[in-house]
Amino acid sequence: MALIRTQYSYHDNSDCCSQLSGRVRPVGGPVAHDCGVATVTGERLLVPVSESPTLRNTVAYAVRNAVEAEDRYDAVHFVCPASRRIAGEGSVESARELLERVAVWAAEDLGADDPEVGVETALIGVDTYLFSPSDYVELLADYATDNDIDSVLLDPEFNPGENTPLLPPLESELERTGFSVEMAPVERGTRRGRLVRRAGLGQFVLLAGLSYGFYLLIGGSLAAFDLVTGAMSAGIVATVLLRVSTTGPVQPRKLVARIVRMLVYTPYLLYEIVVANVAIAYVVLHPSLPIDPEVVEFDAVVWSELSVMTLANSITLTPGTLTIDVNSRHFVVHTLTEGSREDLLEGGLERAVRFVFYGRAAARGPGPRERGDDGGEET
Amino acid sequence: MVTLYEGAVLALLAGGVFFGVVAAVGLLRMPDLYTRAHAASKADTLGAGLSLAAAAAVLASSLPTIKAVLLLVFLFLTNPTAAHAISRAAADQGIEPWTAEDGGGGDGK
Repeated sequence: MALIRTQYSYHDNSDCCSQLSGRVRPVGGPVAHDCGVATVTGERLLVPVSESPTLRNTVAYAVRNAVEAEDRYDAVHFVCPASRRIAGEGSVESARELLERVAVWAAEDLGADDPEVGVETALIGVDTYLFSPSDYVELLADYATDNDIDSVLLDPEFNPGENTPLLPPLESELERTGFSVEMAPVERGTRRGRLVRRAGLGQFVLLAGLSYGFYLLIGGSLAAFDLVTGAMSAGIVATVLLRVSTTGPVQPRKLVARIVRMLVYTPYLLYEIVVANVAIAYVVLHPSLPIDPEVVEFDAVVWSELSVMTLANSITLTPGTLTIDVNSRHFVVHTLTEGSREDLLEGGLERAVRFVFYGRAAARGPGPRERGDDGGEET
Repeated sequence: MVTLYEGAVLALLAGGVFFGVVAAVGLLRMPDLYTRAHAASKADTLGAGLSLAAAAAVLASSLPTIKAVLLLVFLFLTNPTAAHAISRAAADQGIEPWTAEDGGGGDGK
């Protein structure tokens, strides 16, 4: 099957890609078999799929859309990104099963008397490392180029990364790459993801304790009335916000270590802020206003949402640098002067953030400049 | 007679006022939205920070001091977030950052 010629594809062609022939008869040649050669007679639709509660409806919508839309599609390509390198062989296996299911669903939806719409499925990215939304976008874009596709339909619950929510950045990056992107308008069940997470007793105790402490601190008294109302408020707050405000099970030792390291980090950050502030004050008050603003982009080596946020906030706090945008771990930073640019790419703050979240060993890594990630300077 | 303690408080206050003024001057002198966001958000953070530190030192009793410190913490969390929100909105709107070439000498005009 010619479909899986791309460099990302799984080498064992025979079973990673199923194809519904039969009613797959696009006008003008065997598009499904060799898209590069076939004459292009119409649009094709790319639907990235992953295990999700709304997948069934998305498939149905994609097929219906292909058949009924005014500028109807010749073929619908369902692709499933799965990386053996990250999640192991098992994930590739389940991705293959998923695609088989999708193919069956699509066949059901097409029905016997429908016009000729090709359905293809493909497993992509098996031998690549897939981390950030941009990795997925690159992968999807490569596939789309090879198969001459320029429209993408997204499942609203599409989330190949499983842990971190990839969809919003994925959508915007796909659009930036020049695809026309549509979100499948399907019913979503109760949302659990992105904001709301599973939570246990540990988180409840932590959250209630924090709220209680804060309440008593602000109230400033330990009278019986305050103790009781505080306990009630803390209970309500913890119950309501339990699944929003914590990201995972509480690991006391890790938490304490982080707090201690955060306390070490704070004076360092304060010092950086003061030094940089004096530098900026000099620039602002200098009669000729010696600024040389430039936007720099780099990929930071930090992993979790919280550490990315800490780094982004620290960069903005440090005068002379202003985080404009963060996509996953790709930072777009506006820098005011040459000096602040140098400091940023030196990576001092980044190292400090790594220290806070991952300990001393992680802090020793190189900064963006040494890694060569500082590319893409725009003016 | 100014004691060392009062002197420290005065120094903190003077620093706070100084950086507040720098923020205001920067806001007026800078050429575009991004550079103004620099001036407004950052110098201001330190200005407010020093003023709050002075307040905390003057109050000297434990509870209000802790509250002042908490204020500081929230200021340091919210200020960069707001600056980020503004500049990102500007970037999304396609506002191009000003560069030294645009300004020819960079006197902000």
